[in-house]
Amino acid sequence: MTQQLATPDVTVITGAGGWLGTGLVAAFLSDDHEYQRAGRLRLLVRDPADAVTLNAASDRVEVVVGDISRADTALDLFRGLHDVDSVDVIHTAGIIHPNKMADFDAVNHQGTEHILRAAENAGIRRMVHVSSNSPFGTNADVTDTFGHDEPFHPYFGYGRSKMDAELRVHDAVDRGLNVVMVRPPWFYGPHQPARQTTFFTLVRTGRFPVLGGGNQRRSMVFIDNLIEGIVRAELTPTAPGLGWWIADERAYTVSEIVETVGCALTAEGYDVKANRLKLPNVVGDIAERVDAFFQRIDKYNQQFHVLGEMNKTIAVDISAAQRDLGYSPDVSLSDGMRRSIQWCREQGIEL
Amino acid sequence: MTATNEWTATNECEVLIIGSGAGGATTAAILAEAGHDVLIIEEGPWVDQGEVVPFSLEQMDRQYRSGGVTVALGIPSIAYTEGRCAGGGTEVNSGLYRRPPEQAIARWQRDYAIDDFDAGDLLSICEEVEEQLTVQTVPGEHTRASEILRDGAAALGWQHDESPRWMSYPEGGRAVDGQRQSMTRTYLPRAFAAGARMLTEHRLDRLVMSGGAATSAQLSATATGVDQPTTITFKSVFVCGGAIQTPAILQRAGLRHRVGRTLAVHPTVKLAARFDENVNTPDDVPVFQVKEFAPGISFGGSASHPGLVALSLTDNWREFGAAVTAWPELAIYYAAITSQGRGWVQAIPGVRDPIVTYRLTKRDRALLGQGLARLALLMLEAGADEVYPSFKHAPLVRNRADLAKMTAAFAATRASVMTVHLCSTAPMGENHKRTATNSFGKVHGASNVWVNDAALLPDAPGVNPQASVMAIAIRNARRFADERAG
Repeated sequence: MTQQLATPDVTVITGAGGWLGTGLVAAFLSDDHEYQRAGRLRLLVRDPADAVTLNAASDRVEVVVGDISRADTALDLFRGLHDVDSVDVIHTAGIIHPNKMADFDAVNHQGTEHILRAAENAGIRRMVHVSSNSPFGTNADVTDTFGHDEPFHPYFGYGRSKMDAELRVHDAVDRGLNVVMVRPPWFYGPHQPARQTTFFTLVRTGRFPVLGGGNQRRSMVFIDNLIEGIVRAELTPTAPGLGWWIADERAYTVSEIVETVGCALTAEGYDVKANRLKLPNVVGDIAERVDAFFQRIDKYNQQFHVLGEMNKTIAVDISAAQRDLGYSPDVSLSDGMRRSIQWCREQGIEL
Repeated sequence: MTATNEWTATNECEVLIIGSGAGGATTAAILAEAGHDVLIIEEGPWVDQGEVVPFSLEQMDRQYRSGGVTVALGIPSIAYTEGRCAGGGTEVNSGLYRRPPEQAIARWQRDYAIDDFDAGDLLSICEEVEEQLTVQTVPGEHTRASEILRDGAAALGWQHDESPRWMSYPEGGRAVDGQRQSMTRTYLPRAFAAGARMLTEHRLDRLVMSGGAATSAQLSATATGVDQPTTITFKSVFVCGGAIQTPAILQRAGLRHRVGRTLAVHPTVKLAARFDENVNTPDDVPVFQVKEFAPGISFGGSASHPGLVALSLTDNWREFGAAVTAWPELAIYYAAITSQGRGWVQAIPGVRDPIVTYRLTKRDRALLGQGLARLALLMLEAGADEVYPSFKHAPLVRNRADLAKMTAAFAATRASVMTVHLCSTAPMGENHKRTATNSFGKVHGASNVWVNDAALLPDAPGVNPQASVMAIAIRNARRFADERAG
């Protein structure tokens, strides 16, 4: 692997108020994190309340409030950066569980295009686009694993919008922009949103829906592993246009995930009931159809979407990231889960 | 040559072998060399290698059953091909040779309780077969269509390798210089040298059973001008008609336990890819195979003579048809899967060919789509300008964005699904609930009837199966001879 680049003078992070963005900012500003960095952070948030918190965090922070589905927000974000020596962009902003279907395209696709264009005008050094597994769908067989490069097969509205974003990235690369992609599957860890907390609660109370035997495989990634992948993608000189799966070392079966989370909860002193919500596969199939129906009539229902995906295998092969980036996910599932649980407790979140 | 289509000899033999393909020819050689009086019956003609152009329409007419294509009913229906000539499938197929995977051997042994089924023993028989058939890789230049598979896989970092073939080559010879070392050049001449006889162009109409034993075989001639029905008596009979004909023969003889109930195949879907240079070699097939997603999904190249190119474009002829005039720039490739589905073979009284059905599972249908999409991606990476997927309403694929259109439009029910690997219609082993024969091919409920062909394989091995067929047939024939040796 080649020598890593120095961290940039300015790091632009979109979605800085989101789950992943919060984690990145916390790592970059930390005194003792492996990926702490000097230099200014230019952060885009949607919620003015996040701007107050982040502005208070450090004088190296500059916060822009806006909405990437609007072109002028992207221009605001890059204002004054033309003259800076080195600017990197980490584009984490996106929407996964929207109120209406049109938000998928507006935020994930058009929003990415706005950021790409503005980054291009600002003459940035390198950009990391945070993509997803969803442009590639799910594995057709439980033993199948997605390789480094896969044909698009988007999973519903979210997948289409993230695919369109990837296509815009390729267009930008063709125009000369230095942009690469990381593709995390299901990620978890501190700063997680409420839906992930629900996951812990369901496991603790023995009500997590295990479909059809639970032998489906899922790749997951702990947030610190993901941060490592993002930073390595940013700072390792590679050809533009590449995309890497960033996940834990291997995929887990759903049963294994539920069991590991149960053990982590027990180890953290919670009283865990044996999981008893075993449902036939057909429940997942029905939920998938209901989800498809809702999405066709331009509605989005998180419960049906998540349940419909629950009996699918989404397993990825990270060997390209290991080879090209020296990526090496250190945090195991059980450690990661324990750290998530501890974080929830520190935040006073009841599981 | 000791093969004839005219009946001159006595109508008695010790061992009658029905069929002369990978199973029948090897059985004949082993038993004749062990001193048994062997007679082989073959429904098709004897055609010397070189007499017809490989993979041509003439070959389909002469050496295949029903002119090349038969259909297994189901949604979608699955087209399949069977050799029907001396030497069977080994004469007309790609000649690609893959040892049975040790994983498959272990699975068969375990799930079907096959006695004395040791991977080491089978693989040492494979070594013998490889020497006999001069199994080897291409010493010289590959065809362009073959290199495309290799280069596309390499560009994607996908695991791939060259499948050896039963071919002989001149020193440093190119792929197209290969001489196929099929059964008519190897095991059949060996059988003849040891005294075996062979009657071609005669079809077995019925095995006559009496008290749990087969007593005679009723044949009719298939060649024009010979129409004398014949009855042959024997002590033992080996049914080696392939995975479709063998179960039908057994069923007509009243032998039905687990016969024809578990047909296994490797379903395949295809595409044609167009390049900006001539890539088509009409009389050869690519030797590289992509195993990155094996055993679930494998990729390889198909025969691509102009007629087959046209056939591959017919699913969307209105949009794709014009490309046929550029056939030298097109080659056909397949994605094959290991299927969870199973099929049935059912002989119908008074009807010549059995009814064959096959049901793909939901997972099978999804896997075919995923396989075809990955294959199309490989073609783009190999530099294809245009990819024509073989399913109804398929879009023309020119770039990655088109791949999303293709995956969205794909439905296995609209695809031209076909297979050449048929097996498992009379599985072997001691697990009576799952098997039609014992561990060595002797049919349950009959005292002198053996099966010794692809029907015995408990499931589809995930690789080209003929090496498995030959190794198992040789193993079983040896067992038969040993049990009868002084």
